[in-house]
Amino acid sequence: MDTKHIRNFSIIAHIDHGKSTLADRMLELTGAVELRDMQAQLLDDMPLERERGITIKAHAVTIYHVKDGERYQLNLIDTPGHVDFNYEVQKSLQACEGAVLLVDASQGVEAQTVANAYLAIEEELEIIPVLNKVDLAHARPDEIAEEIENSLAIEATDAIHISAKTGKNVNLVLDTIVDRVPAPTGDPSAPLQALIFDAVYDEYRGVIVYLRIFNGTLTKRDLTRMVKSGKQYEAVEIGRFSPKMTPTDTLKAGEVGYVVSNIKKLGDVKVGDTLTLAKFRDVEPVPGYEEPQHMVFADFYPTNPGDFEHLRDALETLALSDSSLSFFPESSDALGFGFRCGFLGLLHMEIIQQRLEREHDIDMIQTAPSVTYRISLADGTEQEIHSPGQLPSPDHFEELREPIVRASMMMPVEYIGAVMQISNDHRGIFVRQEHLSTTRVNLVFDIPLAEIIYDFYDKLKSSTRGYGTLNYDIIDFKADDLVKLKILVNGKEVDALSSIVHRSQAEYRGRQTLKKLRKEIPRHLFEVRLQAGVGSKIIARESIAALRKDVTAKCYGGDITRKRKLLEKQKAGKRRMRQVGNVDIPQKAFLSVLGGE
Amino acid sequence: MHLPFCAAKCHYCDFYSIAAEGQDVDGTVDAVLLEAARRAPRAPRTVFFGGGTPSLLSIEQLTRLLDGLESITGFRESSVETTLESNPESMDREKAEALRALGVGRLSIGFQSLEPATLELFGRVHGVEDSFRAFEAARAGGFEEINVDLIYAAPGHSPERWAVDLPHVLALGPRHVSAYALAFEEETLFSKWLAEGRLEAQPEERELELFEQTHAILAAHGFDSYEVSNFAPKGHECRHNLNYWANGAYCGIGPSAVSHIAGRRAGNHKALAPWRKAVQAGKSAEAWDERLDPRGRLGESWWLGLRLRAGVDPAALRELAGWTAPEDPALAVARPLLEEGLLEEVDGRIRLSAAGLPLADAISLAFLA
Ligand SMILES: Nc1nc2c(ncn2[C@@H]2O[C@H](COP(=O)(O)OP(=O)(O)OP(=O)(O)O)[C@@H](O)[C@H]2O)c(=O)[nH]1
Ligand code: SF4
Ligand SMILES: [Mg+2]
Repeated sequence: MDTKHIRNFSIIAHIDHGKSTLADRMLELTGAVELRDMQAQLLDDMPLERERGITIKAHAVTIYHVKDGERYQLNLIDTPGHVDFNYEVQKSLQACEGAVLLVDASQGVEAQTVANAYLAIEEELEIIPVLNKVDLAHARPDEIAEEIENSLAIEATDAIHISAKTGKNVNLVLDTIVDRVPAPTGDPSAPLQALIFDAVYDEYRGVIVYLRIFNGTLTKRDLTRMVKSGKQYEAVEIGRFSPKMTPTDTLKAGEVGYVVSNIKKLGDVKVGDTLTLAKFRDVEPVPGYEEPQHMVFADFYPTNPGDFEHLRDALETLALSDSSLSFFPESSDALGFGFRCGFLGLLHMEIIQQRLEREHDIDMIQTAPSVTYRISLADGTEQEIHSPGQLPSPDHFEELREPIVRASMMMPVEYIGAVMQISNDHRGIFVRQEHLSTTRVNLVFDIPLAEIIYDFYDKLKSSTRGYGTLNYDIIDFKADDLVKLKILVNGKEVDALSSIVHRSQAEYRGRQTLKKLRKEIPRHLFEVRLQAGVGSKIIARESIAALRKDVTAKCYGGDITRKRKLLEKQKAGKRRMRQVGNVDIPQKAFLSVLGGE
Repeated sequence: MHLPFCAAKCHYCDFYSIAAEGQDVDGTVDAVLLEAARRAPRAPRTVFFGGGTPSLLSIEQLTRLLDGLESITGFRESSVETTLESNPESMDREKAEALRALGVGRLSIGFQSLEPATLELFGRVHGVEDSFRAFEAARAGGFEEINVDLIYAAPGHSPERWAVDLPHVLALGPRHVSAYALAFEEETLFSKWLAEGRLEAQPEERELELFEQTHAILAAHGFDSYEVSNFAPKGHECRHNLNYWANGAYCGIGPSAVSHIAGRRAGNHKALAPWRKAVQAGKSAEAWDERLDPRGRLGESWWLGLRLRAGVDPAALRELAGWTAPEDPALAVARPLLEEGLLEEVDGRIRLSAAGLPLADAISLAFLA
């Protein structure tokens, strides 16, 4: 197919505005999927995506649409909407010339609508605003169109009104894509230049590389080279996603597809690298990706210390298909050897942790997430602190600074007061207030990222009945009166339980943490004393009373096996805990440092 | 020997037992004898008829059962202790006399409680008076070695009540008392009621208080607590049960009965019908078996042995378990517990201290493999 008949676009939106459902209708309408094989959010094929009903990874698929008697190849990328997966959106947009900006006509413009629209604007993509869910009785498409114009300066008066649920006007969206999204400009006969925008590992076939071809043609059996890593591999199979992987003989400039080369070494492939043919020696790399900005860090320690290497392999496999995950080896007094991992947010962290446990069958202890702090030392050098346990005592540094985010919060006007209140409570500084329409407003505050992680997001959701949405970017590192809150278990400091807090909050947070620990840590044969302290001062105390009675009343010949097995089960549960001194601390207890439930 | 019939199913009971009504008791006696003929050891040292409620059998059925067992094993000559479990509703003087004549020397009677409301809650079919009458009948029928089974810490139970009731039972002159704290066993009506909130377990403090009170009252009456829940004056311990806690060998006959022979533990089908079918077909009635490795046996032996006041002899358990490596893993577990005072060493044996006794499970957990 010549490039004039190719269109590459992403569907972008705030979470839950219907991107994947729209993709479903497009697959159906273009006959890419037989009706009997259809299921809701078909492209969300990861078990965790299906369970949670959200998209986590961007999914590419090729469909064919006929307009005015001509057949067009449309390469569609369904993107995630959650703020933590912003990086996926960014990568997807680089492989496209256009974007469908989907807005829920009952909810309106929300924080990630704006954030993702700006990403598309930066990439200079053609943006097609589409108002979804007009089948809902409370849809207000005209008001929402106005919100789009006010907040994004995108012409939206003729935004298409659709229902991804019923399929209404979806055909019109496809026609509009053909009309308005520019065809890719690449030259099929130029030297090959393809962006690696994703990769996944397949046990049998090795690494599967996802490509957007900018120039040239890739043919089966070509000997390829990755420009930055210099690695050469034969293109054993190439193909398109339609939506199953469908082999083909050539992929040309403008197209999106995959290549399989039996690559078993994960480190050989880097998302963002450029693929060319071995014979072209001086092909320019296409602009890669910016390094993602890690918002939070947390440590993963294998429950069984022998699983350290297994955990490393698992992290490498995950990092291949999720280039926003970073990790490096770490050790803790309390927990031994593990990895410090950087994430784009709390949901990202939770997903990675669950994928490690499920896909790689690893039992781990995870420490509470923390932001990155910076300290300046007496000699003028700077140091980053990713884990509170590693903060040296105050006489070892001059200044301690924390990341500040500019938080943009959109909500119906009636919640302004409540959101102002929680922002102030979380050390926020008011920046500005903008009206999106008569009923909705955007509040901008500068807030320490640590506060967002602690419980700000939960509070925002609960105080706006779920209507408040949040987007944020790190804008600065600022000094404040921060102290290390230590937790001691039976007199022994547990580094993995410390946190860095504002002095004024130390006592309250210390008490909260101890209360939670008290619930999580089981009773022992002895009393367990819990203390929270700043410096050498103890500011809160709790204790877990010793177990008083635990004895099976009767045990005779007939029940020995069964009763022993019950005890063994208990013991297995204990093995999944970490021993600190002689106290068994269950995995969940390490998250007690966080606020919220 | 497990005889599964009871007058009615008690609400807390997790033994395999079924209401006798409409059941083929005679056929079951035949099947038990059939299995015994194949599997029972000759000249057993102790014999225990449990269940279920073996006293529910008629004198004719009991005669057939015991004479049959005698001709298979010769237990009347070899057994130093032959016990039969009974319940008040099925014990009278005539039956007691018959049992004595058939070679039963020790009788256990399920009193469980002296509170009518508790007996009702338990689903027991007898009253408090029946228990006393049964005891007197057994005594009149020739039994001296009588055990009484009691359950304390049931919902509503109080130390005030126990301080009166337990001595009241002891005044009868039993030679052995089994006193259990009520346990909400899995798959019983009681555990279901507990989950539904229809029943409430006693708070731990109260349970502990009753536990300690039980030990104190019995000690004051000359009963040693030779096991966590078993009490007897010196020389009257139940030898059959001591063998369980010593992790010794035994042969179990009847539905759900468990055997432990040469390091292999195996259990018969739980339900009557499949067990009987297998026995009558001349097949093995086993539903499961297990064989632990030496480490597993060692841990299990410590766990069981620590229930005994006498505690364990580490060297003897190593030998029993077949543990030959130089380092004894159980001793390694025991050392810190000795230091913390939860275990104590007396004449080369290791046992739970007074402080450790109510924590027997939490402590012995550490010994399991
Ligand atoms: N009534 C109605 N519901 C819709 C429509 N489109 C989507 N939905 C529903 O909205 C919810 C979210 O739809 P998804 O397609 O998963 O949304 P998404 O934008 O892909 O969400 P993320 O990938 O998690 O960002 C689902 O329950 C859909 O059934 C629509 O046109 N009308
Ligand atoms: S009498 Fe004994 S064996 Fe029978 S149901 Fe009651 S407690 Fe269980
Ligand atoms: Mg989706």
